[in-house]
Amino acid sequence: MEYRDYYRDLGVERIASADEIRKAYRRLARKYHPDVSKEPDAEQRMREVNEAYAALSDPEKRAAYDQIGQARHAGEEFQPPPDWGAGFEFSGGEPQGMGAEEFSEFFSSLFGRAPRGARPAGGHRMRGSDHHARVMVDLADVYQGATRSISLRGARLDDDGRVVSEERVLEVAIPKGVTEGQHIRLTGQGGAGIGGAGAGDLYLEVRFSPDSRYRVEGRDVYQSVPVSPWEAALGAEIDVATPSGTVQVRVPAGSQTGRKLRLKGRGIPGNPAGALYLELRIVLPPANTEKARKLYETMAREMAFDPRAAGGG
Amino acid sequence: MAQDRVLTGIVVDEETLTVDELAQACAVERRWVRARVEAGLLGTTVVGQVQEWRFASAELARARRLVALERDFDANEELAALVADLIEEVERLRAQLRGA
Repeated sequence: MEYRDYYRDLGVERIASADEIRKAYRRLARKYHPDVSKEPDAEQRMREVNEAYAALSDPEKRAAYDQIGQARHAGEEFQPPPDWGAGFEFSGGEPQGMGAEEFSEFFSSLFGRAPRGARPAGGHRMRGSDHHARVMVDLADVYQGATRSISLRGARLDDDGRVVSEERVLEVAIPKGVTEGQHIRLTGQGGAGIGGAGAGDLYLEVRFSPDSRYRVEGRDVYQSVPVSPWEAALGAEIDVATPSGTVQVRVPAGSQTGRKLRLKGRGIPGNPAGALYLELRIVLPPANTEKARKLYETMAREMAFDPRAAGGG
Repeated sequence: MAQDRVLTGIVVDEETLTVDELAQACAVERRWVRARVEAGLLGTTVVGQVQEWRFASAELARARRLVALERDFDANEELAALVADLIEEVERLRAQLRGA
């Protein structure tokens, strides 16, 4: 595994005081806060910053980290010494708190050693913590339902009561009709319990993969549909590729850009299902041939049309 | 411990969370949730006694956001709620912009 330089992650000196570390953390937490940050790698950086702060804000962990960290560099191959952990006792059952399931293998191998009470034979029982992750799905997936494969870094107690970090891959059913921001709760797929107690749950927050063709509001889906001027003016039957397949749609004569055609029940399935709104957008053919130019000239001459006059376009 | 079988979960809005389940999901104590609901910072639509309170997906996301804001910035609960309100508003506006 790779050695992590927590001081570098927080941008502080090795001799930084607890107060300096806290200030550096807050500054970075603001900069990389996933909800507001414009940095492209904000989520990844926020995880690193959280992990570094979890290690350096706790005096016990910081002391242990400093001891192994002499003259090492970030990214360097690292194995904990065989007697690692013998000299330290980390307090607390679950000291890392929320988000700790996302910490690196390096972190869990250093600090993940379970307290004495956590040994499987111990009398202490504690339900495992709930974990959280995001799952990206395509809009088309929620029309039919789908399965998604997600990989998570988890921690597990080995036979000696040490926490070992491992990658696990879950195949998860994405229920038909789920919408953005909803959570799928997977019972028993969170952190392992202690002393025979049950595991926690895993909550997956559903996010739609960005798709410039669609905009989703709740269960309603908005899609922009290009039409030609004559289709809009004269009316037409057109084929439109929608998330639930190609449908034939009637464009009413006299349509303008921005007109919405509502297709009931063709939004995200559910009870009730959402609607699909097709927003018409008139696209002008380019006047790039002699013939096209002539046609525009004929219209200009023969149609009394001023889009800036009252009642016009 | 790789798994091959497909896991099927429950959509939180179909089976909403109790106050204890919400607290567990956010790694806080029940009284943390209770205090914020009673102060009107969370779960503004819940009704009845504490045991009858139910929370949907949006409330779970908001509660986790409040926990993180209070913890990361030592923010007091009203300030954390104000920031969460603003973030939710920005999300709404961004969703309207997207693909429009």
